[in-house]
Amino acid sequence: MKKILIAAALATALPAALQAHHGWSGYDATKVLNVTGKFRTVSWSNPHGTATIDWKGKRWNVILAPTGRMEARGLTQAMIAPGKPVKLVGYPRIDGTAEMRIERVTAGGKTVELR
Amino acid sequence: MIDLSAFGDAVQSSPLGVWAGGEIYPIANLVHLLGLVMLVGGIGILDLRLIGMFRRIPTEALAAALTPIAIAGLLFMIPSGATMFASDASTLVNSWTFQTKLMLIGLALANAIAFRFIWQKRIGQWDVNPPIWGRVMAAVSILLWLSVAALGRWIAYS
Repeated sequence: MKKILIAAALATALPAALQAHHGWSGYDATKVLNVTGKFRTVSWSNPHGTATIDWKGKRWNVILAPTGRMEARGLTQAMIAPGKPVKLVGYPRIDGTAEMRIERVTAGGKTVELR
Repeated sequence: MIDLSAFGDAVQSSPLGVWAGGEIYPIANLVHLLGLVMLVGGIGILDLRLIGMFRRIPTEALAAALTPIAIAGLLFMIPSGATMFASDASTLVNSWTFQTKLMLIGLALANAIAFRFIWQKRIGQWDVNPPIWGRVMAAVSILLWLSVAALGRWIAYS
């Protein structure tokens, strides 16, 4: 019985060895990106909003927060609509993919924490 | 050969996918978790009894009590899981974690159905003479469902 429980614990822990993506651990918090620009596209949806932005010669995927959290903190879809000026503080993917996860966003005169 | 990425994009951009990414999403997440608790709580405890723990509890009565709870949990999980999938399908179709999870769900269901076909008639004798392969299948069941649960949680981090 004890062996079975140990095996179950191992099976549960196994995926931890896989590379992270959506959790914060997949992003390099030591490389802070300060981005000023306008989103090309915004997808206001769950499990988290996403957007794209052209920055430093690359097209970046931008990972936002769950829509309910952003709305609760006063950030609306209209404030970050494509073409509106936004300031982003975020971190790049560790694996070098052009994707950043956003810590805070400033839009419409308001700064909102996304974590 | 189906183009998985095209399929994922089509699902996510469909009206269902857009709806699933709205206010329903956290509710689907809660229902999925409730279903998981019922499924693994129900079948997991029954599996432990089938393996050989809690021998003071009659196996047949426990199976009659817990199997419907587990099945109800599964029925909660399917539509809630499909909802969350629809909202994030583009990413999920190419996620190794998600693909593995679906495969293990298939194995766990096949194991459960096979168990029912092979051992259902002998469940009344389990307390006196539990078959070794039946106990093995119960151990496989609990391992598979726990792995499915772990992979499900891990989708968000892989």
